Amino acid sequence: MIKVDWSIIFQIINFIILVLLLVRFLFKPVVQALENRTQHIEEQISAAEAQKKAAEELRIKLEEEEKKIQEKYLEMVEQANKDAAKLKENIINEAYQEAEKIKKEYEKRAQKEIEKLFSQLREEIVEIVEIAVVKVLNSQITPEIQTQLIDQLLGEAVSQIEAQMELSYEK
Amino acid sequence: MKNEIVRVITPLPLTEEQKEIIKKHLSRLSPQEGFILQEEIDSSILGGVIIIWEEMLIDCSLKTQLQKIKEKIVKEVT
Repeated sequence: MIKVDWSIIFQIINFIILVLLLVRFLFKPVVQALENRTQHIEEQISAAEAQKKAAEELRIKLEEEEKKIQEKYLEMVEQANKDAAKLKENIINEAYQEAEKIKKEYEKRAQKEIEKLFSQLREEIVEIVEIAVVKVLNSQITPEIQTQLIDQLLGEAVSQIEAQMELSYEK
Repeated sequence: MKNEIVRVITPLPLTEEQKEIIKKHLSRLSPQEGFILQEEIDSSILGGVIIIWEEMLIDCSLKTQLQKIKEKIVKEVT
């Protein structure tokens, strides 16, 4: 006959009860707490990664914006340089044209003035010659010369009149 | 023969020879008519003669000749 040691059985039972109690009141809450903590950390990690990803996207976006702004700036500087060069060229051209215009105007005026002076000079010379001729004629016309003049000039004039009359008759 | 009155302007009084020359030339235009010369002295015409016969003006003065030459010179040099 096997002799049962009840104290060991009670100890085993107590141990089992203890284990059950531990599982029920200590292990489950601890595991639950650990799971909650793990989940919280995972969520924080996910949030951090999301933030990191967003930050990276933002950085890329900002870099692109910066690049665009830089390109736009360079383009504007280039356009400004082109505009300035064009403006400079226009100003020089306008100044040159204005100078040419003024030069031509002065040349034209000078030419007119010269022509006017030459015209006056010619008229004066002709007047002087005319006065001289009149003086000579006044002193040189004798009745004999006058006779020759009348004969020659009147003869020519009458011949012209006759020719005109003949033409009129023919018509 | 009908006698036509003709105004004759000269710088000097006409001689008989000059009158005959004038009549001779005028008769070429109207052979059947005679001419009475109405003389006028105008020294400004310089020489030659100006004849005014009815509506006809025959300007053979040196003044007019000189004026024509003057106009020609002015025209050519301008």
